[in-house]
Amino acid sequence: MPPQLRLNAVAFVSSQNHPILIRTFSQPKQDELKYHYIAHTSLDVIDERITAAGATKSTECYLGLLYVEDVAVYGYMTPLKVKIIIALELSDNVVRDIDVITISQALHTAYRRSVANPFLRLHAPSDNVTDHAVVVSAGSQKWKLFRERVDEICRAVTLPAAA
Amino acid sequence: MNNGTTTTQRVTITYTAPPNFLASEHWKQVYAALLSQLPLRNLHWKSSFRPNIRTIQELDVTFVSAETRRDDSHTSQIPQTVLEKPLLNAYIVVCDDADTYKNTVKKQIKDWHSNVTQRKNQEWLIIHVVRPDSKAASQRLFQIKTSVLDKIKADFNVEKRDRCVQLVWSYDHDNPTAWAEFINKVKEGLLCAFDAAITQREEEVRRSEGQRQMPGWNFCTFFILKESLATSFEGMNLHEDALDTYNELEALFFEVLKEKNLSWFGTLITPAPKDDSVPLLSTSKKPYRDLILANTITIFDFRTYLLARQCIILRGMRHLIEVAQKSVAFLSAFGRRLREVEQGSLPKYFVEAWAYASALSVVEQCDAWAKGLEFPKVALANFNALKGELIELARHQLDIVGINVGHLPSRPPFSIALPSRIPRDASNQVVDQSSQKITQADMLKALEDKETFYSLYSKITNRAIELYAAAGRRKFALKMHGSLAALDVHRGRLSSALQTFSSLPAHYAPHGWTSLEAYMLSQALDIHASVGKAKDRDWVYILLDFLKAYIQDLGKDLLLTGPDHVAYVTGLVDALTAAARDAPTEMTHHDHPAFSVEIPSSDAKTVEKRDGAILDVNIHCSLPCPLPIDEVSVTLSGRDGSKIIFVDKVSSLEPGKNALSLFCHSASAGTYSLHSTQVKMSNLTLQWVHSPPPTGKQSRVKRPPVLVRVPRDLHAVDVRLRQPQRIQLGTAPSIVAVFTSGRNEIRSAILKLSAPSGVKFLYKDASASSEDQVLLEHGTDSATLSDIAPGQTILLSMPHTDASAYHAMRVNITVEYTTAAEPDVVRILQLVRYVLTALPVAINVEDFFRGTRLFTRFTLSSTSPQHVRILSTELVSQGPGDDGLKITKCISPSRRLTTITPAQPGRFLFQLDSARGEERDPLHLKIRYRMLREEVEQVMESIIDDVIVESEALALRRPEILDILVQALEKDPAWVSLYEVTGELVIPNVTAGEDDIGQALVQIKKLLDKSRRLEEFPGEWREIIIPVDVPQMHILAAASLRISSNPFSADPSKALDLFAGQPIHAILTIRTSFHWAPMEDSHTKSYRMRFDVEELSKDWLVSGRKRGDFVAVDDETFTTSITLIALHHGELALPKVAVTALPLPGEHRMKAQMLPSCETYQIHGAQTVLVLPRGGRSTFVVSMGDSA
Repeated sequence: MPPQLRLNAVAFVSSQNHPILIRTFSQPKQDELKYHYIAHTSLDVIDERITAAGATKSTECYLGLLYVEDVAVYGYMTPLKVKIIIALELSDNVVRDIDVITISQALHTAYRRSVANPFLRLHAPSDNVTDHAVVVSAGSQKWKLFRERVDEICRAVTLPAAA
Repeated sequence: MNNGTTTTQRVTITYTAPPNFLASEHWKQVYAALLSQLPLRNLHWKSSFRPNIRTIQELDVTFVSAETRRDDSHTSQIPQTVLEKPLLNAYIVVCDDADTYKNTVKKQIKDWHSNVTQRKNQEWLIIHVVRPDSKAASQRLFQIKTSVLDKIKADFNVEKRDRCVQLVWSYDHDNPTAWAEFINKVKEGLLCAFDAAITQREEEVRRSEGQRQMPGWNFCTFFILKESLATSFEGMNLHEDALDTYNELEALFFEVLKEKNLSWFGTLITPAPKDDSVPLLSTSKKPYRDLILANTITIFDFRTYLLARQCIILRGMRHLIEVAQKSVAFLSAFGRRLREVEQGSLPKYFVEAWAYASALSVVEQCDAWAKGLEFPKVALANFNALKGELIELARHQLDIVGINVGHLPSRPPFSIALPSRIPRDASNQVVDQSSQKITQADMLKALEDKETFYSLYSKITNRAIELYAAAGRRKFALKMHGSLAALDVHRGRLSSALQTFSSLPAHYAPHGWTSLEAYMLSQALDIHASVGKAKDRDWVYILLDFLKAYIQDLGKDLLLTGPDHVAYVTGLVDALTAAARDAPTEMTHHDHPAFSVEIPSSDAKTVEKRDGAILDVNIHCSLPCPLPIDEVSVTLSGRDGSKIIFVDKVSSLEPGKNALSLFCHSASAGTYSLHSTQVKMSNLTLQWVHSPPPTGKQSRVKRPPVLVRVPRDLHAVDVRLRQPQRIQLGTAPSIVAVFTSGRNEIRSAILKLSAPSGVKFLYKDASASSEDQVLLEHGTDSATLSDIAPGQTILLSMPHTDASAYHAMRVNITVEYTTAAEPDVVRILQLVRYVLTALPVAINVEDFFRGTRLFTRFTLSSTSPQHVRILSTELVSQGPGDDGLKITKCISPSRRLTTITPAQPGRFLFQLDSARGEERDPLHLKIRYRMLREEVEQVMESIIDDVIVESEALALRRPEILDILVQALEKDPAWVSLYEVTGELVIPNVTAGEDDIGQALVQIKKLLDKSRRLEEFPGEWREIIIPVDVPQMHILAAASLRISSNPFSADPSKALDLFAGQPIHAILTIRTSFHWAPMEDSHTKSYRMRFDVEELSKDWLVSGRKRGDFVAVDDETFTTSITLIALHHGELALPKVAVTALPLPGEHRMKAQMLPSCETYQIHGAQTVLVLPRGGRSTFVVSMGDSA
């Protein structure tokens, strides 16, 4: 049985470091600021990792544990450089990388499916297929499904522990 | 402080030698030389259980005498490192003599050997030291010397391995070759023994691990056993293997932890007095191993020990970054566990104090270890970053403690550090069960004194900022700055907090981190409010930035006011309105995203009752509350940079879509692009520029411009330009501005014309057409018209400076006018018109002099592709009345219009008869004409007028009807040729609708399709007046060649038969007249001239005086005779006579000789003479048909 994981927050950040979606699952509202800070500061660490990975020509998406600050922050970068930042409740148990990778990949899939929504490009200029604004807009409040998918993943992560 | 390496067991080699040798000076030298070869380098350990060869770069070896080791007690059952016992035992033999060897030395070696070989996992080596002097001697006794070493080998080498080595001692012991074999043997022996020992130990470990599930197995015992492996590896400088071993142990520990089988341990933690303030990475602060063996170690101590050991090994590998990384993870994870589990049994703030002190001590330790090490740049940044994390961890402990003690408020950002699962106020109620107190000095001081706490807090935070800055972790540093500012707020240092909070958003804005930006801005606004600072310009900009971030999706996430944020924003907007009203100066803010402008229809509408256009605009407001504003204006830019502004007064913008109709009172027709939008709120202007200037590097996505078409309002004020009706060359050129008032009763209209070509308009000479009762005032740069009735058309003639260099002229027209209906509104109409400046016809003149008469032929051709209809041409003398110059026009049979085109010019001939010959008054050529297009329009207008008289409703639609017809004609030129001849106008392809206009159109078409005499059609004719001078000629010569039949004939009139070859007598007369001579030259009585009879070598032979000079006198005839011989028969023209004037003697002008002008005409020019064939003899050649 995999050790109990608690997903506290998930952040999607675009290739140009614009936040796409920051979703927190912990209860007190005050923690929002903390997770926004975490999403933002993680970018620094991700940059370090990318530089290091660039030196070794690594193409690994999973960036590993970024840093620890009351929560354990993990990073994952899709091939299109969308960063997925996962904040797990810190525990004294060993967290296996494979579990985090599984969560990351599920989140990546959720994002990919949401970005594939053709209606995102409804008002985008047609001559620019790789419009950055379109990618960012996937996380806007208009598109509920993305949030639902992310929430579902969070439930799926915490459920086996609750069961 | 314990730096770890001193406790590490080193590899030991024992040596034994005969005591007398050990006492000798020679041994001391050898020993010193031996030590100088250490440490050993580049050992390659090939283990049977490991796939790869491990390389030991450097190995320190202790070289001790066997006697000193002998008393070692090996009684302890505790597994020690395998290096505890010597790995290699060496015997040093100094013996050159075979006999001595056989007698005494062999025995000594034998004793030692039997002792040594019994020991497990130890190797032995016999070193035969050969003196250099004996070596010299042995060269003579070669066979003896070899025999000693060989004998040793033979006696003791029981296995295949050769464990005897000869060390040829020389004084230059630096020579590596001398030592190579010896060193190799030592290495070989060491590794062999080590391998055997490790293999055995690993076997034990494996066996023990296999028994894990059995009762009686003890984790602590196992730990000590396996740890001995790790320490052995460490002693061999095999750090990686050592670390692996510890990592395996750690993993096993977690497994045990998971199985909740912790009976081998003591409690989770039994805090010792100094636990919270001692350095974390020290293995000597407690007797850890003893505690483990006693099964009483607390988990706290155990894990601390494990971490410290791992870090020490990592340090040996120089992986300081991992040391920091491991420490951070451990402190956060284990600190959390301590808090969760044992909250009550610890001294108050123990966990915080412990984490704080440990984090700082790790940083210190790392810094100490890093001394002397050099990092590459990236690694250094990483190292700094991790140290920063450690410091931040310490800072978080301060946050927690601060909140609990009450030094800090329990709200973000301080409360971020509070562990999320513990209810926030629970930690306050912890009963201090433990009698112990924390001992961390800084912490204790900070707890007692607020100010000390604050200074410690900012000191630690600044340290973290410095480290993060050095690491290039800008975003972490920003976060720290934010918390410092929050501390400032709490301490009441509001001004510095305000400064930080207003500068921070700029760092979050660029990448759309609107949530953090909005948070910072709202903090800044709150502070601003609590300071009570004036809501100045800066405040307005902060607020606008806040609203900008607020309307984004993420922006609302962090607003602490929660669901009430609408009220919060409403309050801010109200304050903004007040601030905008009170602002001393105008403020402009660009491109605020809270509003977006959309133009739903690309067509503006005209207004029925007044001049102007209406544009529908949707403004989308993203704010949650209405925004009170004053007006909204949209600026459109036209083709020539002209701008028109649509304005509407609006009291407020509601959330969501606001549909507005903006009015522009002076919109000239055309296509415009959306340029900018402005929302005005007293002194604050929000502006959006939609079409940025094309210059400059625009990285943003190019969007096509939004186009708006403003339709033509046919009833609005309009100004058109045309050429004047009457163009008189030689006077100042002018154009005519046609001003139509349309539906308006105009109070005054100021007309300004300007031409980009630089042509100046002379306003003071402007004049309105005489028939209109209009007040015209002349300004220096404008003309003002007043009191114009609706529907009135005013023709304003406007002289201008010379524009003949241009074919057409562009004129920008600005009309400012006020109407009687809306006297307050000044409408400004900007128009661009083009007007032809060139004449529509080109004129060529040819003059023919005949005595007192002059025939003048004018050739007119059209200069533009347009057809020009010419009604009449007239040549008029400008002289006073009856001056004797009679002008007769070539009479055409009927008055008909002549159409000229570029391809088909028109010719007009006049005869001038000057009786006296002194008239030099200028003549004017008057051409009455009109362009085909104008004529057709006039025809149509008159017909339309006839038709629409019947209906009042149609009268208003007159411009539209005309527009339809003109457009129809423009599309197809097929009607032109028929019209030009017959006047029938066939309108092609007009689809008539069912309404009034349609019926009228049918009727008009019918009327137009009738033949009409256009000469008599009443319409405007244009006039060009071209001044023409009466041509002048000094000498007019009339040459005549007359054949006189016979010089001797009495009757010259009698016709004479002329024959070819016959000499014919001809009389040449030249009559000269000075009738057309210029007035100033009339005093000249005579000119010298020369005649020249033309050679017609095919027709005539000329003999006699065919060329000669003569003196011409007015109205005199010069006569001479020549002889002509016709060269063949036929009707022959007589030769022409050229007469030229010779230069005037003595008169020079411009160094050239004066040549009087002269024209000659041949009186006999059309005469021919019949020359008969010569009679008498004729030769006929008859063809005989052979060449047919």
